[in-house]
Amino acid sequence: MTIQETYKTRAKELLSSGRVKMVVGYKAGSTPDRRRPHFIRTPEEADRLILDSACIANLSGYLITEGLLSDEKSVGIFLKPDGVRSLNILAAESQLNIEQIVVLGFDVNNNEITALKGEKAEDFSTLIESLKEHVPQTPGNPLLERIEAMNAKERFAFWEAEFSRCIKCYACRQACPMCYCRRCIVDCNQPQWVNTSSHTLGNFEWNIVRAFHLSGRCVGCGNCDRACPVNIPLRLINAKMAHEVLGAFDHFAGMSQTQEPVLASFKKDDSETFIL
Amino acid sequence: MNELFEPEIVAFVCTYCTYAGADLAGTSRLKYAPNVRIIRLPCTGRISPMFILKALQKGADGVLVSGCHPGDCHFTHGNYHARRRWMVFRALLEFMGIPSERVKFSWISAAEGGKFADLMNSVTEDIRKLGPFDQYKELIRETETPATF
Repeated sequence: MTIQETYKTRAKELLSSGRVKMVVGYKAGSTPDRRRPHFIRTPEEADRLILDSACIANLSGYLITEGLLSDEKSVGIFLKPDGVRSLNILAAESQLNIEQIVVLGFDVNNNEITALKGEKAEDFSTLIESLKEHVPQTPGNPLLERIEAMNAKERFAFWEAEFSRCIKCYACRQACPMCYCRRCIVDCNQPQWVNTSSHTLGNFEWNIVRAFHLSGRCVGCGNCDRACPVNIPLRLINAKMAHEVLGAFDHFAGMSQTQEPVLASFKKDDSETFIL
Repeated sequence: MNELFEPEIVAFVCTYCTYAGADLAGTSRLKYAPNVRIIRLPCTGRISPMFILKALQKGADGVLVSGCHPGDCHFTHGNYHARRRWMVFRALLEFMGIPSERVKFSWISAAEGGKFADLMNSVTEDIRKLGPFDQYKELIRETETPATF
C-alpha cells in the first residue's frame, strides 16, 4: 500500500470512529504541481486526499481558525516536521490546546515522501531534537552569503530594491501560521507605526517588523516565500534571524509545547557586548 | 559645505536610571552636545523596536537607547527582557543594512551623570562623522513627493 493509501485509510478511520471531527490535508490544486488544503469532515471526502512530494505547505495555521477548536473536539492534521514545530509554538503561546490535535506526520525529502510515526506532537520530540543538532554551522545559502559579504550601504540598497517591489498585499502575513494577531501592528492607526501606502519606506518597515516578530518563532516552512507575489526572499530574512537566535540563546523554535518563547524570557548572563 | 553637520539623535531612556542620570548631568552643570532629543519612558522594557523605526522614519540620524544596569531595574527585570530584544533587533537591522553605529544601546545609572554627558558627546561625534543617514532620507523623501500616474 502506498503512503497515500495508508494515510487515506487512517483519515477515514479517525473520522468514522468519531475520534476527530475534521482532518486537514491536501487535495489537487489549480496546477498539477500544486496542492490546496482539504478540510475533510466525512470519510467519503477523504477519497480526494492527496499525499505526495508536492504537499509542502505548512497547514498548522488553519488550526487557529476562529471557533474551530472551541467545541473541544479533536482535529487531525497532516504535518511535516516543520509543521509539528509550529504546532508546538502555537501551543506554547497558548493559541490552542495541543491535546485536541491528532498529527498525521510525514516528511518530504528529495521528492521522496516518508511516513512519520506518532500521533501526538510530543511523539516527534526526538525527531525535532535531531533536527536541532543537525543545523549546519552556516546556513549555506549562496544569496545569504552574498548579502553577508556586502557592506551596510550595499545591503541597504539590496533590500531597498527587493522591498520596492512589495505591494503590501500581506500575503506573507496571511500564509504564516505564526501571524495570528487579531490586530496586526500595521493595521494599527493610532499611532500609525508603519506607512500603509506601498512606498519603499513603509515596505521596509513592514518587513523589518514582521521579521522581528518572527525571530525565534519562525520554523522556516516557507509559506511566506511561496505566497509572495513579487518573490521577495522573505524566508532568507527569517532563516537569518533563526540562525542568530540559535547562536545567541541556543533557541530552536518549536522544540516542545512548553518551550518558553525566546523574547518573552531571559537569562541574567545573556550576552551584552554591544551595550555601552 | 564647511558648515558642521549637526546630527539629530533621539534618545529613548528609562525614567528611573538614565533620565535621572541626565538630570544629574544637568544639575552638575555638565555641558554636552545639544543634538540629542530625550524621550522618557517608564522602563527599557517599554521601549519597542517600533520606537526606533519611528525615530528613523521621522528623520533621525541616530538613535540611542539607554536604561538601568542589569539588576537595577525598578521593575526587577524589564531591562533583561529589553536586552534580549535589542540583541535580536540589532542583528536584524545590521542584516537590513541599517548600520549598527546609528543605533546604540547603553546602561546609565542615576549616579552616572558624567557618563551620560560623555556618551552624548561621543555618540554625537560618531554620528557626525557618519554624516546624515542619506539612504533612509531618500526613502522618506519618496513618501513626501506627490504620486505620479
